[in-house]
Amino acid sequence: MIVELIAVGLVVSACLAIYLDEAVYSVISLACMFVLAAILYALSGATFAAVFQLAVGAGALVVLFLAGEMLSEKPKSEKPLRNTLLVVAAALLLSLPPFFLSVSAPIANVSSSFSFAQALWDLRAVDVVLQGLVIMAVAMGIAIILYEGKKGG
Amino acid sequence: MDYVILSATLLAIGIFGLLTKRHLLKVLISIELIAVAASMNFVLLASSLDKALSQTFLILAFSTDTCVTAIILALLVMASKKYGTCDIRKLAEMERNGKSEDGCG
Repeated sequence: MIVELIAVGLVVSACLAIYLDEAVYSVISLACMFVLAAILYALSGATFAAVFQLAVGAGALVVLFLAGEMLSEKPKSEKPLRNTLLVVAAALLLSLPPFFLSVSAPIANVSSSFSFAQALWDLRAVDVVLQGLVIMAVAMGIAIILYEGKKGG
Repeated sequence: MDYVILSATLLAIGIFGLLTKRHLLKVLISIELIAVAASMNFVLLASSLDKALSQTFLILAFSTDTCVTAIILALLVMASKKYGTCDIRKLAEMERNGKSEDGCG
């Protein structure tokens, strides 16, 4: 029952994140969605994924919140509450198909012989190192973009 | 409950936002939704096979998502400072006008 409620909340908050005009409200809806996704991961046994989802989501959302606060223009006209309620109702309808439809093939339950640390460092160590390089390259690229913008503007 | 349908629903909402919204921040939020849908599909399906390995892949996917978000945010700040708007249609129009003034378009 809890999982179903979380799934409904996930779809409703995703719809509101797209629909709401005010950037701050939109980002708050996205935050709700991240938290609900993390809870869903935790309930399905993927604890590390849930923790990472929360950590990465929190970092991304703080930046998004600041950017939304800085860059958003105030909407010219407030959307009426009736429209927002209609969107919530549409989102509730959209969240129904996962309960009634199914496309998953039955999956064999393969027992895992690896711990998380083994899987990360023994099997995917090269990927982790390469990922670190990618993140560094991205950070340098963003610094260059912002520096060029400061110089040009 | 079928997680594939749930993630497909989230994917559809993200694509709808990507196609209909004009503000760059909304485009970024739509991309985040699509990324969450993809990660969810991956994690919840794979968790029944090999939990440790699937979570490892997910962590790598998260860092890539964060890089994409950071790049789009940098572009958003740049566009807002340089052109004074975050509307992608206005930005495209300005780009076209700029090109035609330069004689490139």
